[in-house]
Amino acid sequence: MSSDFEAYEQDFGTLTAEITNKIGRIPKLAGEEKTQLVLNVDKQLEEVRELLEQMDLEIREIPIQSRGMYNSRLKSYKQEMEKLEKDFKRSRIAYSDEVRNELLGDGASSSESQLIKLREERAHLLDNTERLERSSRRLEAGYQIAVETEQVGQEILTNLHIDREKIQRSRDRLRETDANLGKSSRILTGMLRRIIQNRILVFILGAILLLTIVLAIYFNLRGQ
Amino acid sequence: MDNSGKEKEATALMAEAEKKVKSSQSFFGSLFGGSSKMEDACDLYGRAANMFKMAKNWSASGNAFSQAALLHLQMQSKHDAATNFIDAGNAFKKSDPQEAINCLNRAIEIYTDMGRFTIAAKHHVTIAEIYETELVDIDKAIAHYEQAADYYKGEESTSSANKCLLKVATYAAQLEQYPKATEIYEQVATHAMDSTLLKYSAKDYFFKAALCHFCVDMLNAKLAVQKYEEMFPAFSDSRECKLVKKLLDAFEEQNVDAYTDAVKEYDTISRLDQWLTTMLLCIKKSLQDDESDLR
Repeated sequence: MSSDFEAYEQDFGTLTAEITNKIGRIPKLAGEEKTQLVLNVDKQLEEVRELLEQMDLEIREIPIQSRGMYNSRLKSYKQEMEKLEKDFKRSRIAYSDEVRNELLGDGASSSESQLIKLREERAHLLDNTERLERSSRRLEAGYQIAVETEQVGQEILTNLHIDREKIQRSRDRLRETDANLGKSSRILTGMLRRIIQNRILVFILGAILLLTIVLAIYFNLRGQ
Repeated sequence: MDNSGKEKEATALMAEAEKKVKSSQSFFGSLFGGSSKMEDACDLYGRAANMFKMAKNWSASGNAFSQAALLHLQMQSKHDAATNFIDAGNAFKKSDPQEAINCLNRAIEIYTDMGRFTIAAKHHVTIAEIYETELVDIDKAIAHYEQAADYYKGEESTSSANKCLLKVATYAAQLEQYPKATEIYEQVATHAMDSTLLKYSAKDYFFKAALCHFCVDMLNAKLAVQKYEEMFPAFSDSRECKLVKKLLDAFEEQNVDAYTDAVKEYDTISRLDQWLTTMLLCIKKSLQDDESDLR
């Protein structure tokens, strides 16, 4: 059963492909060939309809459980066929457009397409101009910022120069202070030394005085 | 609440200090350690002044500091006296500018006596700023800035000197003393040309000098611009130089519109500040006068 169904499906596929092909070709042709093609397509559509009926009969013989899948497939095929019929009808009407174009010559059709083309080009160019303007505005803003940065940089550099001089001066003053501190420490050590000397002198003198007094008393006592 | 308490404390301290001073001046006081009493009094004045500062009573604080400074002068400690005068000046800045200037002047005298010119220069700048902002007396401000610049030059800090000189030049140009301003700008610009740090500001100074020349006489300006271009090639690339050239051309042709256009163009990129606008307006007026004269 299902193998028959599949065979039908394959046939359906090939037929629809052929029909689509022919429908595509129809508007471009005219006269004898066209009528031939139209008849062909008609016959093929008939065949497709018969196929679908056969597929329907097949499905009825399948048990109800597995019917669902085949049912949905059948539905999609039917829709495809209806679409093909619509296309077929449209392609037959398209015939009149082609002839009309031939009548009015290349002028009319291309003037319309020309207008459309011109409008497109215009929009395109306006777009480009806007883009260019945006870029130039951004460049100007960038330039302004660069100039401002330069000015800020100038100020900073002048400040740095002033600070540099301050630091140099402080360093010199510090060296001077260092030298002065060295001098004062030397003076203080000198003072300390002199104090010690003075003290030693005082002790020595005191000792001599004491000795003289003791000798004086001693000689006095001896003399007595 | 806290502040009024502090004020009362401070006034009490001041009274104590005055008593000490009086007692030290009497006969016995000078015999028995009069100087240490004076030092104590100075200390008390200092504390009282700080408390007045906390209570935001600036004039009382300034007074206390001045008293302390006078005592220090009597005791021959110049450094301390000068520092106290400076503190008094700072306190008075907020309430009585004139008094502040007096204190600062006295401090500057002491410093110049001792030979500390840098600090004296710094305080000249402070005084000049007070004259700029609070008591709007531009002439005195200029005088102080000049004095400060001289002291700085004496101490070999050309950059600080230049800073003061630039302020002098700005004000001089505003007061229409163009030759002075031009000279200062040229001097500063030539000095800046040589230094790696400062050469980016050199073109700005040349521009200002050219404008000052312009206010006086157009031919001067032309010669000046040529001279600057020779001295400093980078100047010719700058937008400022281009602007000056355009202005010169507009002036030659006596075309006010071209002048305005050039100025507007420059303004779109970098805004013109107050000083530049005044100068350019002055030149434009002279241009319009010339035009009307010729017609």
